Amino acid sequence: MSELRRTVFAARHAALGAKLAEFGGWEMPMWYQGIVEEHLATRKGAGLFDVSHMGRLTVRGARALEFLQHVLTNNAAALEVGQAQYTIIANEQGGAVDDAYLYRFVEDEYLLVVNASNRAKDVAHLRGHLARFAGVEMTDRTEEVAMLSLQGPRSREMLAGLVEGQLPEPKKNALGAAKIKGKPVRLARTGYTGEPLGFELFLARADALEIFDLLVGLGARPVGLGARDTLRLEAGLPLYGHELGTDAQGQEIPIFAISLARFAVSFSALKGEFVGRAALEKQHEAAGRIMRGEFYSPALEALPRRVMAVAIAGKAIARAGARVIGADGKLVGYVTSGTVVPYWKIEAEGLACRIGEEKLMRSIGLMLADSALRTGDSLTVEIRDKKAAGRIVASHLQSKSPPYARPIVCEF
Amino acid sequence: MGSPNNLKYAATHEWCRAEGETAVVGISQHAVDLLHDLVYLDLPAPGTVVAAGKQFGEVESVKAVSELIAPVSGTVTERNEAVAAAPEKISADPYGAGWLIKVRVSNPAEVAGLLDAAAYDAQASGEH
Repeated sequence: MSELRRTVFAARHAALGAKLAEFGGWEMPMWYQGIVEEHLATRKGAGLFDVSHMGRLTVRGARALEFLQHVLTNNAAALEVGQAQYTIIANEQGGAVDDAYLYRFVEDEYLLVVNASNRAKDVAHLRGHLARFAGVEMTDRTEEVAMLSLQGPRSREMLAGLVEGQLPEPKKNALGAAKIKGKPVRLARTGYTGEPLGFELFLARADALEIFDLLVGLGARPVGLGARDTLRLEAGLPLYGHELGTDAQGQEIPIFAISLARFAVSFSALKGEFVGRAALEKQHEAAGRIMRGEFYSPALEALPRRVMAVAIAGKAIARAGARVIGADGKLVGYVTSGTVVPYWKIEAEGLACRIGEEKLMRSIGLMLADSALRTGDSLTVEIRDKKAAGRIVASHLQSKSPPYARPIVCEF
Repeated sequence: MGSPNNLKYAATHEWCRAEGETAVVGISQHAVDLLHDLVYLDLPAPGTVVAAGKQFGEVESVKAVSELIAPVSGTVTERNEAVAAAPEKISADPYGAGWLIKVRVSNPAEVAGLLDAAAYDAQASGEH
């Protein structure tokens, strides 16, 4: 077995007493104090995540845009300098090789951030298509650029106090360049937690530790991969290998099975032919029919199951692979991700809304289930030898109004 | 590690304290550290018969679910409703307020056959 990679922050993780584990070929912190505590700290204050294990690829050259339009599902031509977008690396079957974020910090270079565990596969896949785009240069920068994510209601004030220059525009996916203690930092209003306020920071390796320490000094709580997973799950964000890729039976999951596909797949004329287009058009058409309630075979053939959020009664965890039974007693799908998440009780409503002191827990999941199911439908989730009541919900978290993400709790 | 000397232990990380005919059963600090972030506990109701070496319940953390194995045989006389409702309370005091069940022991010799603290610690220190 090859040696595990360590990020530039490895010594900090050890000093902070992190529980370390292998992830995607890297030795990463699973938690420092605990998953539950770190989840809550992110929702109330700010969580600081080492995400340097993620793959960072730069793409440049006269035909860079043309290449990206061909291998990614979103419309990269819509990306102005200073913007980022969620996108998917599709295969010809309309399934995902990986999901990714595409950043355009400067005019002549794109940065594609991919999942750590898929990096080698993605690079091989992308290189396979590169031959047709002479002059395009794709470089793996994973080891030379460090990446931190600062997420939560206090993230903006923390950065505003450190940064010389402007924070990026206060809207999702906006980018900016700034300096912290004279060190250049690239900032993105992106993240994987569902927090209305959150930033990702791209740093030179040599500057990374100082900036990590500054943020911790301001009260940012280091968060491991454990809470990174529970936070994304509560936010309903897909994880490759669970909601994207292949399902429990080894079948390709259609990209339009995830609701984010609406924002990640473009059929703009500017894209022309791209990898997976024909299959994705069929899925898109099917998704439209399903939305309109037209459940006949062509729609269900291209998109038989979709990813839905399910609230679960009790405190047991419905882990990936748990069977989900419909009201008629028939199997309707499988849990793709499940956990128990903590949440702060919200006090008052509307503008007066604030996070309370009381901590509660709830069992939630995402599932891949029959497309004909609807929000509000009651289900039974098989958790080992027990049966738990479940209900399809639109989402587990309200992420739209800063500064706080608010839990949407289902009563049973 | 220094597990309490007044308790007996099973290799599967449960502890047991004999009080006359009754044995109080819980899980060790080492088990709590391994599992971390306890969120769910399934314990048998009073009257349930449990057998040494067999599963009597389960404990779940955010990361994993584990079987609880009975260190002794007998009949459950009481279960700790406070921790059943809030499993995270085990972490704060696994040998005291974090006990799980009380069992009327059917074979007291089983208690004597369990590991002492030193033997348990020696075994547990080999695990991570």
